[in-house]
Amino acid sequence: MAGEDPVPDIPTRIRTGLSAGLRTSWKMIVVSVPLYVGVTLLKGTPVLDLLGRAFAPWMGIFGLPGEAAFAFVAAFVLNLYAAIAVMVPLQMDSFQVTQCGLMMGIAHNLIVEGGVLSTTGTRGWVLTLCRVALAVAAGLLLRGLYFLWGLV
Amino acid sequence: MEALPAALVGAVKLSLKLILIIVPMVTIFEVLRYLPVFRRAGNLVEPAMRGVGLTRDAAVPLFTGIFLGIAYGAGIIIRVAQQKGLPARELFLMGLFLATCHSVVEDILIFVVIGGNGFVILGVRLLLAALLTGLMARLWKPA
Repeated sequence: MAGEDPVPDIPTRIRTGLSAGLRTSWKMIVVSVPLYVGVTLLKGTPVLDLLGRAFAPWMGIFGLPGEAAFAFVAAFVLNLYAAIAVMVPLQMDSFQVTQCGLMMGIAHNLIVEGGVLSTTGTRGWVLTLCRVALAVAAGLLLRGLYFLWGLV
Repeated sequence: MEALPAALVGAVKLSLKLILIIVPMVTIFEVLRYLPVFRRAGNLVEPAMRGVGLTRDAAVPLFTGIFLGIAYGAGIIIRVAQQKGLPARELFLMGLFLATCHSVVEDILIFVVIGGNGFVILGVRLLLAALLTGLMARLWKPA
């Protein structure tokens, strides 16, 4: 099917690539910069702390200590590095770190990445909700698996 | 509002990072995409991709996302989507797969560093992504 169209020469391809790359970057910058600024300003408010407190009682479902909620808020709103910084002092065991890695790996940086996802032409917020739901599902699955094998 | 200048500096950094990664990536993709090796690699992954409702047109953006993550993967996704006119169904299925399974190298390693089990994380994510996307592909029939 594809590949039947004439092949442009290398300089043309480089020019196409540069201009397409710039256009694509611009498209993503326009969406992600305002979201990034918003999220960074949010960090200076008590909002994240309040969210962490609200989620703490549910962490036990996934076999995690309540304080892990603050790491999850950091992962969801900011990024994985922020989450790791919160996790390290919590002294979690191998299962708990794996659990966090699994769940946060699926759902992190949701605000900026949600914006980026919508620039691809698909519904970003639907996929973002999917990511949170999937993180919860994956967490329950992993806890179940470890439970079945008597590891936790 | 003393946080605003820092946020703006961060925003400029983010923009530059996006440009510095996406422009070369899209250019390299544009230069290489006519090579026969691309088609051969496409043939290789096609059966697996058909299982999750994707065609070979989605191969490059899918694998970029799996290895480099959503933000940079999106650069290639946007490019390929407009070039090959990927249908909404395929875009959504690809997004769903990547939502579960993206940036598998960096994101998993940073948890391995602090004591997590990387194989477990990767295994569960791949399994969930394949199952879920495969299921969605069967529910949402191609138009």
